[in-house]
Amino acid sequence: MTQASIPPRGKVADFVRRNPTIIIGGFLLLLITLAAIFAPWIARDPIAFEPINRLKAPSAEFWLGTDSLGRDVYARMVYGARISLLVGLTVAIITVISGSVIGLLAGYFPRVDAVVMRLMDGIMAIPSILLAIALVALMGSSVKVVIIAIAIPEIPRVTRLVRAVVLSVRDLPFVEAARSNGTRVAKLLRRHILPSTVAPLIVQATYICASAILTEAGLSFLGAGTPPEFPTWGNMIASSRLYLQIAPWTIFAPGICLALVVLSVNLLGDGLRDRLDPRISRRM
Amino acid sequence: MLSYILRRLLGVIPVMVVVGVFVFSLLHLAPGDPAAIIAGDTATQADISRIRTNLGLDRPLLEQFSSWGWATLRGDLGVSMFSGIPVTELMAQRMGPTVSLAFTTMLVAVVIAITLGVLAAWKAGSLLDRAVMALAVTGFSVPVFVVGYIMVYFVALQWRWLPVQGYMPMSEGFWPWLRHLILPSFALGLGYVALIARITRGSMLEVLSEDYIRTAAAKGVATVPMLLRHALKNAAVPIITVIGIGVALLISGVVITESVFNIPGIGRLVVDAISRRDYPIIQGVMVVFAAVYVLINLVIDIAYSFIDPRIRYS
Amino acid sequence: MTSSRRTVLTAGMAAATLVTVGAPHVARAQTRPARQVRVVPHGDLNVLDPIWTTANMAAYHGAMMYDTLFGIDANFTPQPQMVGKTDISADRKTYTFELRPGLKWHDGTPVTARDCVASLRRWQAKDGAGQHLFARVADTPVVDEKTFRIVLKEPYGLLLDALAKTSTPLCVMMKAEIAATDPNTQITKHIGSGPFKFVEAEYRPGSRVVYERNPDYVPRSEPASGIAGGKRVMLDRVIWDIMPDAQTAASALMAGEVDFYETPPVDILPTLSSAPGVKIEVFSKLGNVGQVRLNHLHPPFNNVAARKAAQLAINQEDIQRAAVGNPQYYRTCGSHFTCGSAMGVEDGSDVLMLKAPMAERQAKARELLKQSGYDGKPIVLLHATNIHVMNQTMLVVAQQLRQVGFNVQLASTDWGAVVTRRSNQNPPDQGGWNVFYTWSGGNATSSPISLFAHAAIGRKAWFGWPENAEIETMRNEWAAAPNLEARKAVAVRLNKTMMDYVHDVKTGQWVGPAAYRGDRLRGILAVPESLPWWNVERFA
Repeated sequence: MTQASIPPRGKVADFVRRNPTIIIGGFLLLLITLAAIFAPWIARDPIAFEPINRLKAPSAEFWLGTDSLGRDVYARMVYGARISLLVGLTVAIITVISGSVIGLLAGYFPRVDAVVMRLMDGIMAIPSILLAIALVALMGSSVKVVIIAIAIPEIPRVTRLVRAVVLSVRDLPFVEAARSNGTRVAKLLRRHILPSTVAPLIVQATYICASAILTEAGLSFLGAGTPPEFPTWGNMIASSRLYLQIAPWTIFAPGICLALVVLSVNLLGDGLRDRLDPRISRRM
Repeated sequence: MLSYILRRLLGVIPVMVVVGVFVFSLLHLAPGDPAAIIAGDTATQADISRIRTNLGLDRPLLEQFSSWGWATLRGDLGVSMFSGIPVTELMAQRMGPTVSLAFTTMLVAVVIAITLGVLAAWKAGSLLDRAVMALAVTGFSVPVFVVGYIMVYFVALQWRWLPVQGYMPMSEGFWPWLRHLILPSFALGLGYVALIARITRGSMLEVLSEDYIRTAAAKGVATVPMLLRHALKNAAVPIITVIGIGVALLISGVVITESVFNIPGIGRLVVDAISRRDYPIIQGVMVVFAAVYVLINLVIDIAYSFIDPRIRYS
Repeated sequence: MTSSRRTVLTAGMAAATLVTVGAPHVARAQTRPARQVRVVPHGDLNVLDPIWTTANMAAYHGAMMYDTLFGIDANFTPQPQMVGKTDISADRKTYTFELRPGLKWHDGTPVTARDCVASLRRWQAKDGAGQHLFARVADTPVVDEKTFRIVLKEPYGLLLDALAKTSTPLCVMMKAEIAATDPNTQITKHIGSGPFKFVEAEYRPGSRVVYERNPDYVPRSEPASGIAGGKRVMLDRVIWDIMPDAQTAASALMAGEVDFYETPPVDILPTLSSAPGVKIEVFSKLGNVGQVRLNHLHPPFNNVAARKAAQLAINQEDIQRAAVGNPQYYRTCGSHFTCGSAMGVEDGSDVLMLKAPMAERQAKARELLKQSGYDGKPIVLLHATNIHVMNQTMLVVAQQLRQVGFNVQLASTDWGAVVTRRSNQNPPDQGGWNVFYTWSGGNATSSPISLFAHAAIGRKAWFGWPENAEIETMRNEWAAAPNLEARKAVAVRLNKTMMDYVHDVKTGQWVGPAAYRGDRLRGILAVPESLPWWNVERFA
């Protein structure tokens, strides 16, 4: 394909026009991530407080007002981005990596398959939120535990996805060829089979990320979330739920951030999926 | 055919064993002693130990597991450590509200989602497609309890159209039953719209790109009837899968909704039980939910094998 | 399978039909029995034995369906309830009680003296005040069907107060065969003699408790006051609707779906009171007293200088403002006994430096902490996140302790996990703890004897396990004191000792107003640590 006659600027503009969701989603996420990284520069301490300042409406001193303890809502929102994004990202990475490894092995080795898929089915059968609450009760409430508690119920779905891809690719000619060539299994899996899983995995990862951030809010509502001292959007919303009519800024600030991030991650995922799925990109 | 069904049925057993072991060890390894909670505020160490013995909590774990396991298989899920009421009785009392809520929520979610999904697939790639899918995702982006509170504030408190909370069994009348379920179903259902809409759109697109559909379109068959009759019919299979998955997700979502709308269902039963470490209830509910999920998926799988013979041999 | 479209259409038509068919039911379902009240209590009733557990909700349950020998009135004076005639011997060692006529159990059988003695025995096995009393009891002989005696080894001025108290566990009367149940096992039959009957068939733990009027109850002739006097029931049914979500309960009250909300968070009171028909009222005037319990068994709080540092660092005003919010409903208190009660004298509290500016207190605290030789090792604070006041309080306490140099580690869990961990006497890094928080009723806290937490008997004491012989001597002195003035004098000395020793650290007092539909209910009694429904009328 000769692109020499088309100026680079046109290529970029073309990409933007054809994939608005990827751009919008990506841009929003970038903005929020930057805010999270530069938090100490753009906001004050999110943990310190003076009870005398509690439930103050937004003002020059407290841009988004204060919460029920007197903490700065804007500061907590900005710092909250750190843990919320961390939770979403880490859960997505953990589930994708574990799911891929297990799925690859299960898809390729039938004996492993029999055992592993029963295990995965068992985990999928237990309602995820109950599993998460029980895990947090078991291991104590910390960001690490909450991440694991949210990740575990998601792993089986990724495993199934990868396994399905492996099963469909395993007997294709090019894999057969590599196998008869004497390629070692590990290399076979890595070089020839794994690449087929990348596209759907990326898409799945974005959905898992969004879902994890929301689940964290739900867990905080039920009292099984991250420790309330350190802000996440989820636990900010949950601990302020009483103040919907009294101090709505305490809910809307983190709520809008949460919704925006979940929306952008989903848009990103949808856009990527459309881009990477040949059936759909062909129609466009 | 029969051998496939039998194989699947047998496959259920190891899954349930996994569930049983998982659930039991999760609880009994967790810190949090129901005896201490039961004993109350002014209990002494001696009181707590006496209660532990009374409840059989000081026996070795393996012994506790096997006696629980055998009892469960016989259908005896034990009694609540606090109220002494049999777990099966507690669950039976609260089945009605949870099942009602799950049913109406699924109805709301499926109707809205399929409409949006079909629309988006029909106009794939256009602004309408993007907008519709973005709308679907919005319902998913806000936590259920926030949506719930906002709905209650406007619809129930300000406009007085619907009740704030509570549950009316069908025996009190169909309309009271329904009106208490409208807000919770929407609050919870909107969260599933995105998932189902996405799958609907995906599978519709697959079908729409099939040659016979394109031929029919080229031949001038009217779009809407064609969409509904051919495309939707063939896209039904994956949609039903998702609804099956939705059942499991629903059980999770129901837990929060029941708290927000004060519906006396199984979700609240188990959440209360977890905070009190009432082991028999937690174990019983988890096992029953898992069994329901496994059964529903089994039924769906078997239904598939009737529809698509290829699946049987995979 | 064209089922999809057809299904949707059919479902739609079916729904439409059913809606119209169902319409006439609207009128029927919306009327409720005119004399029924729906109440949202502060907690869940999941144990039905008011003796076996010390949960407050069980005490409420006890007050509804059972009756007591004596009951405190609005002035906290014990008055006879089931007892008709009381006779006290000249040497004050023999109390003879004769039951008043007309007392019947809910199954129709009459109440006998034997039932009462059996109930007393079961109660005292689990109650602090009861145990204190029965340590001095020689015998409880039954004289005849309606009469029994309590024979003491020495005079005990607080006998009637112990029998009459409302703090859990209540001294409720049960049938002898039920009271024979081991105090460490729950009763399985629920037969009382109180003004309400417990409707077991409609009981849903975690969701609903139903009581109905006992038509055979014979109330006393005096007006109702506290849990004394005539318990005249003017309602047919009382339903406790268990709603853990505060926002839902508040909305339900405003919409009229419930009639009484016992413990609305103080922050939503303005919203509630602005709703038509809603009235805010304080029924429990002595309210609650918060206490931070320090673990006396392990460092750093096994050292009095470190405890004093914590005592100075903890600022009641800030804690109350964060936990309760509205100054109208809280106060600071320089006494270990409820301020506003007879024993709530703040003399002896100079060590708290309540009048000094915070900066000065913190400086002194830092000095004391250094003196104690604190090594900077993290101290574990048990933080219950699911109860609003506890959640807020511990976050403030953590900050206050950090400000004077403690290295604080918050163990954030739910209350259930706190209840378990606090009973662990191991060092903090082996499953134990250094600091936890809870509160007790103002009424119970006003008495050095009634509240078990006031005991300083080391490992057998309440969680925190303070040990101080002087405190114990003074507690006994207080119980033996002949009159109110003498008791007050002892209380002052006891308070000072407890503060110098730093028994625990009180965080201030607050009252929890209730919110209810003043346009429908009247006659609700103000009874500390109880929520009785006799005397209440529904007029709309």
